[in-house]
Amino acid sequence: MLRIWRVGLLSGLALAAAPAQAFVAYVSNEKSNTVSVIDTDSWTVTKTIKVGQRPRGIEFTRDGKFVMVAVGDDDTIQVIDAKTQAVVDSLPSGPDPELFAQDAAGKILYVANENDNTVTVIDLEKRARLGDIQVGVEPEGMTISPDGKILINTSETTNMAHFIDTASRQIVANVLVDARPRFAEFKHDASEVWVSSEIGGTVSVIDPQKHEVIGKVTFEIPGLRKEAIQPVGIGMTRDDKTAFVALGPANRVAIVDVATRKVTKYLLVGQRVWHMAFTPDEKYLLTTNGVSNDVSVIDVAAQKVIKTIQVGELPWGITIAP
Amino acid sequence: MTIRVLAIAALALAAASTAARAADPRYPNWPCTQAKVPEISLAAVWTGPALDDAETKWKDDAKVTALVSKLSARKTPMDEAEKSVKEFLAASAADKTANAKLLFAGLFDTLNAQRSQVMNGLERVSRKQREAADRIREETIQLQALQGAASRDDSRVEALSNELIWKTRIFEDRNKVVRFVCEVPTAIDQRLFALGRVIQQEME
Repeated sequence: MLRIWRVGLLSGLALAAAPAQAFVAYVSNEKSNTVSVIDTDSWTVTKTIKVGQRPRGIEFTRDGKFVMVAVGDDDTIQVIDAKTQAVVDSLPSGPDPELFAQDAAGKILYVANENDNTVTVIDLEKRARLGDIQVGVEPEGMTISPDGKILINTSETTNMAHFIDTASRQIVANVLVDARPRFAEFKHDASEVWVSSEIGGTVSVIDPQKHEVIGKVTFEIPGLRKEAIQPVGIGMTRDDKTAFVALGPANRVAIVDVATRKVTKYLLVGQRVWHMAFTPDEKYLLTTNGVSNDVSVIDVAAQKVIKTIQVGELPWGITIAP
Repeated sequence: MTIRVLAIAALALAAASTAARAADPRYPNWPCTQAKVPEISLAAVWTGPALDDAETKWKDDAKVTALVSKLSARKTPMDEAEKSVKEFLAASAADKTANAKLLFAGLFDTLNAQRSQVMNGLERVSRKQREAADRIREETIQLQALQGAASRDDSRVEALSNELIWKTRIFEDRNKVVRFVCEVPTAIDQRLFALGRVIQQEME
């Protein structure tokens, strides 16, 4: 009896001390038209949700209750209820939505519509369209400054990062970067914006006050053709010390020292790595590998790939519950 | 009728120019959305031991060359291919590492060559499509001029519009084929990476 009690106590303790807090990651699979749900405790796919056609940009609402996914070929953004893990609603975007960004309060959503050169502004509470902003050709990357005042949108064809004043919804500056900019990310202290260029093979570091490129991150991997290095997704740790850059068909993620803008290490992940997301405790970074149809799990502190999880076809975006 | 012809031609050309945007200045004839990587680098797909002379010697091994051609064929399903790799290496005993290197070297060579062929074909077709688009554009202008002429020659108008319909249809069909073939280099990348992964796992 005593032993049973002891065992019970021990297992209770073990449970309480379980190190990994379980989070939930949602991955959009562009080709199979599904979203894979990953449990970060068991590192397995626990559910596959059928969504609209060509799901790409994907993000949790700030309250963690819903997941929004841009389904480009259906010209809308679908809303998944995180509790029931089913599509419950849709948001009015423009044609072919690809990526989007929400303000810090989670009230306003800005959507890049690849096909009509606009950014749609949506009220998330009312789920209604507030208006459109005319931007460059093939808008793609989207990010919002930590204070919510500036929205950055990159245009794949004009090779620019557009700085948009969210109050007036007017473009206030255009900054030229290298060919085919794909993604933009602010430092948490708002002092820099990093913009990746897929064809240019670089990340431009922009001063958001002066609207000037103040530096560039370059990549070189021994034995790899330059063309294979195609930077897309960027993730920065909350202390702004380390950045991770996904390098597409180089099948690697570069770890960059933010202060010196130099690569310190390359990690081999899966094929054609594009986007990534940290777990909220920043212990892990998950990347989507579009061609090998899997997700790599990187241990952030150890700077090592610890796991590969098979998902649907052409995994594109990823978001993790806050 | 002719208005429809003109509309179709205009649509086809618009579609062609959409495909041409966001092009890589290094490869103006590259028609696919995926940025062009001319050849697969070894470092992108192989983290095993250096291949050394396996890079040339694989061709001298009859067993390896036969297996390479079977595994490189897209008609061989991936699970069957992976099974063959495992069986071959399991039967290699002491030569396992050497055989694994030979097999991967053969796959790397063969699939890279296959991929280059497809990519060259894509660029050739894309160049021809651009020329075809120019001709359709010219003939559309000619047709408009014929229709607007004071003494309109109906038989010529009809002949030219029929020709335009035909050319536009071929143009559109080829565009569809190009979009489809653009997936092939990626499918080859995928096959090479997956087979490389199995070979490396079996070596451990």
